[in-house]
Amino acid sequence: MTTPLIELHHVDRTFKKDNQPIRVLQDVNLSVYPGEILCLVGESGCGKTTTGKIIAGLLAPSAGEVRYHGENVNQLRGERLATYRRDHQIVHQDPFASLNPAHTIGQILSYPIARHRLAANRAEVRRRVWELLTLVDLTPPGDIVNKYPHQLSGGQRQRVSIARALTVNPRLIIADEAVSMVDVSIRISLLKTLQRLRETLGVAIVFITHDLALAKYFAWEGRISVMYLGRVIEVGRTEAVVHNPAHPYTRALIAAIPEADPEITRSKARLTLRSEDIPSLTAIPPGCAFHPRCPFFVPGVCDVAPPPLDVPPNYEQQVACLPLLGGGALTPYAEQDATV
Amino acid sequence: MSDIVLSVQGLSISYLTARGRLRAVNGVSFDLHQGETLALIGESGCGKSTLNLGVMQLLPRTALVDAGKVIYTPRGGQPIDALKLKGSALRRFRWAECSMVFQAALNSLNPVIRVRDMVYDTARAHGENDMRRIKARALELFKMVRLDPDRVFDAYPHQLSGGMRQRVLIALSVLLNPQVVLLDEPTTAVDILTQRTIIDVLKTLRRELGISLIFISHDLSIAAEMADTVATMYAGDLVEIGTVNEMFYRPAHAYTLGLLNAVPRLSADREALNSIPGSPPDMIDAPSGCKFHPRCSFATEICQTSVPKLEVLNRDGAAHWAACHHSDQVRLSAQEVLADDHAAD
Repeated sequence: MTTPLIELHHVDRTFKKDNQPIRVLQDVNLSVYPGEILCLVGESGCGKTTTGKIIAGLLAPSAGEVRYHGENVNQLRGERLATYRRDHQIVHQDPFASLNPAHTIGQILSYPIARHRLAANRAEVRRRVWELLTLVDLTPPGDIVNKYPHQLSGGQRQRVSIARALTVNPRLIIADEAVSMVDVSIRISLLKTLQRLRETLGVAIVFITHDLALAKYFAWEGRISVMYLGRVIEVGRTEAVVHNPAHPYTRALIAAIPEADPEITRSKARLTLRSEDIPSLTAIPPGCAFHPRCPFFVPGVCDVAPPPLDVPPNYEQQVACLPLLGGGALTPYAEQDATV
Repeated sequence: MSDIVLSVQGLSISYLTARGRLRAVNGVSFDLHQGETLALIGESGCGKSTLNLGVMQLLPRTALVDAGKVIYTPRGGQPIDALKLKGSALRRFRWAECSMVFQAALNSLNPVIRVRDMVYDTARAHGENDMRRIKARALELFKMVRLDPDRVFDAYPHQLSGGMRQRVLIALSVLLNPQVVLLDEPTTAVDILTQRTIIDVLKTLRRELGISLIFISHDLSIAAEMADTVATMYAGDLVEIGTVNEMFYRPAHAYTLGLLNAVPRLSADREALNSIPGSPPDMIDAPSGCKFHPRCSFATEICQTSVPKLEVLNRDGAAHWAACHHSDQVRLSAQEVLADDHAAD
C-alpha cells in the first residue's frame, strides 16, 4: 500500500473537567491514505469528533503521535507546519453557525485565498471563487457570490462550507456530521458532490457520522472505523464491516438500525444487550469497555486488559475483541453460565 | 368504520407573516383508527408539526385555523370537534384524551423539580387526588419504558441521560391513559441504540395500552418499522397516504418515490440513490398546479395548470390515495427501481 497521508500512533486525549481527567481517546491508531474515504462512526461521546480534530491539527494529542507524511506533526515548524494545516480542512456540522453571517459568500471564499497568497491579484481571486462555486454545484456563481449566508438554504450553505475547505487545495477534508442537519431529500446530492471532488481532485475524506447507513452508502469503496468510548473497536473495508460485522458492538449497532424497507426492518434479527446505558467516560469499564453490555461477555477474559486491534480468523477487518481474536466463536453469556 | 378515534377533516392552518399569509397546512384530511400508528413524513417546513399543534390547539398566536374539523371520539362517548373545545373540556382533551411528546424532548422537562413532582402535577391538574394510585401507575409505566422506576421517580432531569429523559416523557404522555399520542420526531438526536430502545418501548406501549399514535418523522426507516399507515406531506398538502407496504413498495406520488430514492439502506449493496432536485417551495408564493412540479421528473403541462386531487388507487386492495397526475407512471417507475434493487442482491 502507499504511504499514509496521516497516521495516528497510540493517540490518547484527556480533557479535564472539575479537575477530573476524562479520557476521551485511548490508544487510537488510524491511518488515512491519499484519496481514500474513511468513515468514523459511533455514538455520541465515542471520540469521533475529537479524532477528527486531532487529524486536522486543531487539537494536540495528550500522548502518542500524529505523523504527517511520516513526520511527527509536533515537530513541524514554519512552512512545513503551514502546509500541514492547509492540507487538512474541516467541514463542520452546522451550516448555520459555521459561516459568518455578516460576510457575503464571495468574501467568505476570498479570505483564505488572499491569506495564503494563492492568487496573484484580485481578478484571479475572483476567478478562483467562481471556479470553486461551480465545483460545488452552486451555479450560476454570479447569483451566489453577493449573497449572505442567511439568503441560502441549509444545503447551499453546506456547499459553501465545502467550497471554503477547497480554497486552499487540501489533501484531506474532515466532514464532521456534514449532512446531518440538511434534509434527507438533499443529503445524497451533497455526498455525491463530495465523492466527485474526491475523484477529480484526489482529496481524501474523513467522514464522521452516527448514521451507519449513510456511512455505508458514502464509503462503499472506502473503509469504516467503528469507535466506542474512545477506542477504535473495528476497522476495515466498508462491505466487510457492514455485511459481516465482527465486534459485538458493531453487530448490536447494525441489528438496531431500522431500515427504510418495512419487510426487512420488521424481520431483522435483534441483538439484546445486557445493559442499555452507555458507561460514563469518567468511569470507563476495565478491559474491553463494552464488556458490561456485551451479550457475549466472557468473564476473566474480557474484563482484564483492553483487547488489541487485530485481524481475527475468518474475518478480513481488524477487530478489538479477545474471544474473536482467540479464534473461538462467540457464545451468549447466559449459556456460558449454564455450562459452568 | 366505527373505530375511528381521530378524524381530521379538511384542516387548513395559516401563519400571518410580514410578507403575507402562509398556508402551512392545506385542507388535510385523514382518519386515525383505534390502535393504529400513522407516520407523517416530509421535509422540514412541510407543515407536519403545524398539523399536530393544530390538533392540540397549541398553535402560536400568529396562526389561524382557516377551515376544518378534528373529530375526536372519546371512549364510549359521542364524537366531538376538538377544535371547538374550550376551558376545562380542552384541558381534559389535552393529555387525558390526546397527549403529545415534543420534539425538543430534552428540554421538555422542568429542570428544577423532580420527575415525581412532574407526575403529581400532571395528575393534579387533571383532577386526580389519589396520589398513591398515580405513583403506582407511574412506576408501572416507567418499568414498561424500561427505566429503573424507583431511581427515576425521585430524580431530577439532569440526573438522567437524554434517552432516559425521552422515555420519561413518553411515560408521562400516557400517564392519564389517553387514546391518542402525538410524537414529534421521537428519535431525532438520539443515538442508535437509544433509538432502538425508544422504538421498542413505543411498540410495547402500543401493544399494552392499545393507544393510537401519530408520529412525525423525516426518518423513513422509523416509519417503515413502526407505522401501519404512512402519509406524505409536501408544502402543506397531504399528497399521498396508504398502508406502509403500499407506500414503500408501490408509491404513487413522485415526491414519495423521490424520498424513498434518497435514503440509503444498510442491508443493500451499492445503491443508485438520488436527491430530489431543487428545494421546497416558497409557501407564500407557491407554484401553480401541483406544488411539486418544478422539482418533479414526471411533470408535464397538466401539472403546471391543474391541482391534482387525492384519489383512491386500489379500489379493492389495500388502502392507498395519491394526489398525482402521473401516479401510474410513478408506480411503473417504482417497480423498476425495486426490480433493480433485487437484481443487485
